[in-house]
Amino acid sequence: MSGLAEFFDMGGYAGYVWPSYILTFIVVVLNIVWARRLLAKSREDARRRLAMRPGGEET
Amino acid sequence: MAWTWFHRLGSPPYIYSLAGRLTPWFAWPAALLMVGGLYGGLILAPPDYQQGDGFRIIYVHAPTAWMSLMVYTTMAVSAAIGLIWRIKVSHAVAASCAPIGASFTLCALVTGSLWGAPMWGTYWEWDPRLTSELILLFLYLGYMGLRSAMEDVQRADRASAVLAIVGVVNVPIIHFSVTWWNSLHQAPSVMKFDRPNLPASMLMPLLMMLLGFTLFFVAILLVRLRGEVLSRERTASWIREALSPPMSDRSVSGKPISGVRP
Amino acid sequence: MSDSIAQAATAVNGSFSDRARTPRSGLTAATLALTRDLRLAFRKRGQLIQPLVFFAIVTTLFPLAISPELSRLRDVAPGVLWVAALLSSQLALEFLFRDDAQDGTLEQYALSGQSLSGLLFAKTSAHWLLTGLPLALMAPLAGLSLGVPVGAVPGIVASVAVGSVALSLIGSMGAALTLGVKRSGALLSLLTLPLAMPVLIFGARATELAIKGESYGAPLELLGAVAVLGITLAPLATAAAVRVNLE
Repeated sequence: MSGLAEFFDMGGYAGYVWPSYILTFIVVVLNIVWARRLLAKSREDARRRLAMRPGGEET
Repeated sequence: MAWTWFHRLGSPPYIYSLAGRLTPWFAWPAALLMVGGLYGGLILAPPDYQQGDGFRIIYVHAPTAWMSLMVYTTMAVSAAIGLIWRIKVSHAVAASCAPIGASFTLCALVTGSLWGAPMWGTYWEWDPRLTSELILLFLYLGYMGLRSAMEDVQRADRASAVLAIVGVVNVPIIHFSVTWWNSLHQAPSVMKFDRPNLPASMLMPLLMMLLGFTLFFVAILLVRLRGEVLSRERTASWIREALSPPMSDRSVSGKPISGVRP
Repeated sequence: MSDSIAQAATAVNGSFSDRARTPRSGLTAATLALTRDLRLAFRKRGQLIQPLVFFAIVTTLFPLAISPELSRLRDVAPGVLWVAALLSSQLALEFLFRDDAQDGTLEQYALSGQSLSGLLFAKTSAHWLLTGLPLALMAPLAGLSLGVPVGAVPGIVASVAVGSVALSLIGSMGAALTLGVKRSGALLSLLTLPLAMPVLIFGARATELAIKGESYGAPLELLGAVAVLGITLAPLATAAAVRVNLE
């Protein structure tokens, strides 16, 4: 168990190391979420635009 | 033959489907490399004799700093291509890069600050590298701000392309600032191209993280690019076909994080 | 429009049409553009002194906000002078291209067949002559009010004069990029200030050394290098940005 506690302690630097990793993790996740939301929104908008033109006219 | 392929890259419907198909090929290797690098960096690598376990921040700081520069360069190059050869898809690539780059620049600044606090005794220092990295963040924000302020998409593309190209001068400044000026920041240990100073057990996870983050960037770029391309092609006929298969996991790809499925 | 202005505009236009573009005609066109801008600016003398008044007010704010003690002010004087100069030069940037864009002169410049970057460089030079140079001459006065020794005056004038050249050039790029944006003030600052930071750093350093009585040659040379870089590259970017916004 002391091995795990040591690991989390990071030789005393825990207060610097873990926030860095957590922040990076958050940024990574945010990028994924943001990108997928953007794509989903674009698809939604495109669908709506197409639905508004029942004839399916081409541009 | 190669020329036709290049020509096809400029076609929005082709890019839309190609990007969708390519994403998993970047997303999964990225995930593997990042997890592997994390394990190697946090657990396998021995503590540094000077910085103890604190040096492990390098495994997130170096990749994010690398990202901030690499993404900007990609953005500037694709903006230049779009400007010179008037390729809309190229502009879409540039637009997709900016938010990714900005978030990682911020991350690099904060992780660097957290690393610097115990090592240099200060959270911030106005030395050339930190200052120019901060300028890079402002350049990203300015790019995004200019784009959103201009209503006409084509004009926004071209104006922001000029801005991106002008700002690219900052990238070599950031990179070489530690050799040009006496700075708090350490001299490059990986990018020296001859013999890196780090032992293999510390170097391997770093390389894995660098590569993993790079592939991650490409994966995210591909997803954003699809969204960007789609929103620019108002009601082009190909969209109907591209959207008609029901929205499956295959077309909006991404990697599951920590077992969370979309 | 008076006759002479109309003449200038026509001359810029006409100096190309059937003849090949020569360096001499390019220089003539640029000179005409420069004198036109100067003449137009002198008509609205009230607007001319606005940046200077702004500079004076801003430098006054600092003693009020920080401390009236001259010894403390002397320490912050380089920074205060430079931030104030930077902001004042920003103020005039919005109008660098605005009027000409609105009345179509900018379009005429672009269509004239003369080098657009040359003409825009002429306009930017006019901006510097009207804003940067006066600021360089005013800065010592502000500096004296902040407790700066008299011996520092030449250094202050030199650094602000050279630095403001770079500021005008960098600012012209931002102004050109934001031509199509309404109420572009904040965005203009966001675009210009990051690129202006090196100028600020070197300029403040040169001023600081001058105040201490030490040799300020090194940062002044760096300032000069940035200015030269700006002179060679900025007009090209500015012209590209103007073209984008005129389409």
